[in-house]
Amino acid sequence: MRLLEFDYFEAENLEDAVAHLKKYNGSCQIIAGGTDLLTALKQRLYTPACLVSLDNIPSLKNIKEENGAIFIGAMCTLEDIINSELVAKKLPALKQAAWEVGSPLLRSLATIGGNICLNTRCRFYNQSSFWRSSREKCFKAGGSICHVTNKQESCVATFSADMPPVLIAYGASVRLIGPKGTRLLPLRQFYTDNGRFPNEILTGSGEILTEIEIPTPSSQTNSTYCKFRLRNSIDFPLLGIAVLLILDKGKFCKDARIIITGAGSAPIEAVEAREKLLQQELEPQLIDAAAQIAASEIHPMRSSFVSPRYKREIAGVVLAEALEKAGGIRE
Amino acid sequence: MKKKIRLIVNGEEKVLTIDVQQTLLEVLREDLGLTGTKKGCNQGECGACTVLLEGKPVSSCSLLAVKADGKAVTTIEGLAKGGQLHPIQQAFNEKGAIQCGFCSPGMILVTKSLLEQNPNPTTAEIKEAIAGNICRCTGYVQIIEAIRSLVP
Ligand SMILES: Cc1cc2nc3c(=O)[nH]c(=O)nc-3n(C[C@H](O)[C@H](O)[C@H](O)COP(=O)(O)OP(=O)(O)OC[C@H]3O[C@@H](n4cnc5c(N)ncnc54)[C@H](O)[C@@H]3O)c2cc1C
Ligand code: SF4
Ligand code: FES
Ligand code: FES
Repeated sequence: MRLLEFDYFEAENLEDAVAHLKKYNGSCQIIAGGTDLLTALKQRLYTPACLVSLDNIPSLKNIKEENGAIFIGAMCTLEDIINSELVAKKLPALKQAAWEVGSPLLRSLATIGGNICLNTRCRFYNQSSFWRSSREKCFKAGGSICHVTNKQESCVATFSADMPPVLIAYGASVRLIGPKGTRLLPLRQFYTDNGRFPNEILTGSGEILTEIEIPTPSSQTNSTYCKFRLRNSIDFPLLGIAVLLILDKGKFCKDARIIITGAGSAPIEAVEAREKLLQQELEPQLIDAAAQIAASEIHPMRSSFVSPRYKREIAGVVLAEALEKAGGIRE
Repeated sequence: MKKKIRLIVNGEEKVLTIDVQQTLLEVLREDLGLTGTKKGCNQGECGACTVLLEGKPVSSCSLLAVKADGKAVTTIEGLAKGGQLHPIQQAFNEKGAIQCGFCSPGMILVTKSLLEQNPNPTTAEIKEAIAGNICRCTGYVQIIEAIRSLVP
């Protein structure tokens, strides 16, 4: 399948890019690495009149630490992140997540900004236009019915990006620039939990993601990312869990964050499983109990290729593994 | 929309006027006639379209050609010199790492990039390097052996 015609604009600065997005009034999109976008365009999921490239804006490619925070430019590739000593030392779970995205052939092109802005996915939607034409158009594709829920005007497509759960666990914020200026938004608020328009940018704000800001984790922080998929390469996560633990004396859980991808239309925080861990000593029984709670906290939908029941089962297993790893109980 | 781009393909400068919506894979195969680079899935999943961009392996089906403007591209046609196969190609031949050959250009280019960065990779590092390249024939064992045979 070939790409349809579009205009291509290489912005020299951010103001330029914002103005261009505005000029095309919704029919214009940012292209970062293009690894997700090109497939979506071949599948005719979007038909923009113009793409705006950010390749010529070097300030979007920095990774640095300043005043107790780490800043990562939106156009840093996943390979840049894997190779960054700062990330390896201070944000090891972010390196792990980057390393598990797609394949090496994509990671040298794919950006962290594109990963954060990734659309939700659904087995009825992320298909060629020919394949999709065998059924009535679903709601997300411009029709009225959802083939997963059989309800009108609902979309429960699955959020499946690997980097955001880790970033949310680390307390990251994102800087956006748009027609109304710039704003800094906690990453968890960037997501709308709406399968059709899953983030602030996809709701049509005309904004661009420029930078990710992460408070430098304390020395008591232990973090990890565990991803489950059928093949250990190329595939999107069926489920991914980021765990961050602040451990006192190496075992008392002063604070915890558990963020899950692949289980809903946004990254989901397992709030009750976290409660279970707080102020407790991290040991196998506690881990099992927290894993069971997390499995009942998520409500995955059949927009993915495996059943919701299977995902809940897996969530417990993956969380137990992640807690053992972050707690230093296993390699 | 048309755009003029400059690519250094296998060491030779090429100046081309292309449609901005062409992928690098389409430009290589259709504008330059370099059909050694294969189109498998055309959506980033199989690695048949692997080329080296500034020495790093990328899926050329998932990259707009305009984004490669000014950069060096190595395709499988750039490896053999003076009618002599490149040592990696020879090793793949000798170890039975080629059956139908559809994945071979990608596998060989990934190997080239791997050995340039890390002349002494472990088996785990070899497997990680070829993790984006699918082979339907060999079962990977011979491919890994061919690569290992190049490690001193
Ligand atoms: C075979 C295959 C396997 C994959 N596996 C995984 C996986 O395992 N895990 C995973 O998380 N992803 C996976 N992906 C998806 C994708 O490759 C990655 O998420 C990648 O990080 C996206 O980044 P990109 O720069 O290529 O984004 P692009 O494709 O350029 O953009 C993606 C979307 O984000 C928007 N966008 C990008 N940057 C910005 C910005 N700065 N401001 C505003 N909007 C922006 C674009 O308009 C577009 O809508 C896979 C893709 C393929 C083809
Ligand atoms: S969840 Fe329903 S509306 Fe959303 S993409 Fe899937 S089928 Fe379409
Ligand atoms: S053809 Fe490009 S990855 Fe399959
Ligand atoms: S030799 Fe046939 S696909 Fe690898």
